[in-house]
Amino acid sequence: MNNNDLYVELSAIFHDVFDDESIVVTPQLTADDVDEWDSLSHIRLVLAIERKFGLQFSAAEVSRLKNVGEFVALIRSKAA
Amino acid sequence: MTTTLPQARVLVPADLAPGLQACVEFHVTAQQMQQFAELSGDFNPLHTDDAFARGKGFEGAVVYGGLLIAKVSQLIGMRLPGRDGVWASVQLDFRRPLYVGQAAEVEGVVASVSASTGMVDLKLTLRAAGKVLAKGTAEVVVAR
Repeated sequence: MNNNDLYVELSAIFHDVFDDESIVVTPQLTADDVDEWDSLSHIRLVLAIERKFGLQFSAAEVSRLKNVGEFVALIRSKAA
Repeated sequence: MTTTLPQARVLVPADLAPGLQACVEFHVTAQQMQQFAELSGDFNPLHTDDAFARGKGFEGAVVYGGLLIAKVSQLIGMRLPGRDGVWASVQLDFRRPLYVGQAAEVEGVVASVSASTGMVDLKLTLRAAGKVLAKGTAEVVVAR
């Protein structure tokens, strides 16, 4: 899966989790940019990504992430 | 005068492994049915009128599904995982009615625990007289 396809898949997940079709998923996107991005929706987001890509992350891996770009890098490293 | 509340069990994520089980036994009283009717505003005679319910083929007034979910709340909030558990979702399929005063139990079994988020998936089963009343699932976040 190339980066564009990955961001398309992530966009669908973000739109569903945050119930907001207007979110534009970019590498720079952070929780501060999305009003609904609270602790519970963060859990929903991580679980949805794990399920979509058939991956499992550790708590440490997830807690280190600073933006979507780092999440994408984590997905790529796990899927490699 | 102070009131001592029942204390919730404390399970940390490391305690929670697939297969861990907890159970709450209960029965629903007529007073609880009346209180729930007033709380919910649901005065449907299937829940409030024995004769009406019998006329519809039941053995008496049927316990509110909401009261069964209340017992799931007790299971999650007090036993599995207890003090630090916060519901994220619950889903129940009701299979059989429960009647006022009938002994019942709700059982939760840990199905999985997410390493990344601490989300616990529970399988739920409610039974009375050895028969399944309802089955379902719940997602519970363990607050860290």
